[in-house]
Amino acid sequence: MPPGSASESGATAGCGSHDEERAEFSALLEDSTDDLYEHAPCGYLSTMLDGRIAKINTTLLDWLGHRRPDVVGRMRFSDLLTVGGKLYHETHFAPLLQMQGQVNGIALELRTADGGRLPVLVTSVVKKGAGGEPLLIRTTVTDARDRRAYETELLRARQEAETAHAAADEALRLAEDRSDGYRRLAATLQRTLLPPVLAAPEGTEVAAHYAIASVDEVGGDFYDLFPLPGGKWGLFLGDVCGKGAVAAAVTSLARYALRSAAVFDSDPAEVLSNVNAVFNQEFPGPDLRFCTVVFGLLTPDPNGDGYTATLASGGHPPALLLSADGTAAYLPTPGGQLIGVLEEVHIATTTVRLRPGDTLLLYTDGLTEAHGGGALVDADALVDSDTPVDAEAPVDADAHDDRFGDTALLAFATRLAPTTAPHLIHALTKLLDSFGEGLDDDTALLALSVPPHPADGEPQ
Amino acid sequence: MNALAIATSTGGSWRILKLTGDLDFHTAPQLRAAVEAQPLSPNHGLVIDLSDLAFCDSSGITAMLVARRLTVAAGATMALAAVPGRVARIFARAGLDQIFTIHATTADATATATATATDATASDDAG
Repeated sequence: MPPGSASESGATAGCGSHDEERAEFSALLEDSTDDLYEHAPCGYLSTMLDGRIAKINTTLLDWLGHRRPDVVGRMRFSDLLTVGGKLYHETHFAPLLQMQGQVNGIALELRTADGGRLPVLVTSVVKKGAGGEPLLIRTTVTDARDRRAYETELLRARQEAETAHAAADEALRLAEDRSDGYRRLAATLQRTLLPPVLAAPEGTEVAAHYAIASVDEVGGDFYDLFPLPGGKWGLFLGDVCGKGAVAAAVTSLARYALRSAAVFDSDPAEVLSNVNAVFNQEFPGPDLRFCTVVFGLLTPDPNGDGYTATLASGGHPPALLLSADGTAAYLPTPGGQLIGVLEEVHIATTTVRLRPGDTLLLYTDGLTEAHGGGALVDADALVDSDTPVDAEAPVDADAHDDRFGDTALLAFATRLAPTTAPHLIHALTKLLDSFGEGLDDDTALLALSVPPHPADGEPQ
Repeated sequence: MNALAIATSTGGSWRILKLTGDLDFHTAPQLRAAVEAQPLSPNHGLVIDLSDLAFCDSSGITAMLVARRLTVAAGATMALAAVPGRVARIFARAGLDQIFTIHATTADATATATATATDATASDDAG
């Protein structure tokens, strides 16, 4: 059928009537039949069965920005669609139309001459001949910008709601992950701050323990034991002020500064002076970072009879010696100052012989500052059995204070002496456990003992 | 856990901070803020009165060291008065009894002239 065929003119709105008034009104309408088609509030087009456009109204041409001669007989309906629209037209619209003879209110997007998109609702009807054979396709196109905007709005609102919901879920999951993560991080950090395995100097036994007061925060205690040239060994144990990530960073600094300073100059007082200089350089402001630490140098006895330990203290609680003769004593280092507070620090040093049967203990003050009365518990029971400790027992250490204290620790050690590093750490670990909530602060313990000579046959 | 109250007064060229309650992790920032609020100069001294201090942990001792570093940086003098026994023992162990100027009472501290009460260790970290 040729474009603009007669059958497609005057297709609508015939409203002829009999009375005069109606006739006038009708005349008005009849006059504008073409006008109505051309300028209807919707787009009209008629296409051949192969899709070529036979007729199109002005409204639709205006929407598209096309000139009639460029469209009629030249373009197919699908040429007016966006890529997505073309696909949908081919796969759904056209087959449906062929099958049903009619398709109603399908949302498609037209492509305008200037490259824009025009959302529309399309309704098509197949016009059939007298014998029912399809002749052409009549299509109305309704501007759906408003409706599309509304739908887009709905969709966006739904997406936003979904996004918000997902974000809330994610935030919740992250929060759970994070607290878990923090704990894992704290545990990991703690491990990196302590040696995984302590190597024992020849002819000694070593043991260590780290008691964590809070699983949520990294504590600032640290220790290490490592070989130096000439058969000597370095060891240290300390406590950085504060807790958490900052304390962990400072602890890490202290550890590495101590290890490298010991290699550079193994004199214990020099080692601590160097670490003090490092701290002052790293933390010059009013936000003080400091630590207390004992650094020791173990020199093997020329006769193979134990070691000589030179201990330097920077404000740290005194080491404890549990002797072969069954006594115990602190090894005071009075006047040794905190590391990191002063530019020139005073370090106190003491020297002690570690003979067979002697045990040296380094500890942090989490032990002596713990609240609880483990002091009165029989030390032998702690070593030899799994008897729970009565932490509520009265305390003899400090009349106005329920802290474990120096006196109680010395009494505890005296009951245990003579002992070995593993036995001592085992007993102290049980003591720390007995404090329960009374353990305010992380506690690090490091013990080194020289086993008694089997040849001596001297029962201890 | 108890709160910390800090009362500020003046005695001659000395500013006096009297601490009542607990000086710990939670209240340590209060002491620092109070120290920073004082007019610190070479003509001023700062006394921290500990006679009513109920509790002091390592955070509290850190706060006192921070106070000292702040006063020394300003060229001022700082002293502690009426240090409780337990705190004094911790000071002795950590060598802090040589770092802080310690007086038995606030009156003893303020009786000292700020200009001449130069902390023997102040030159150590005057930088």
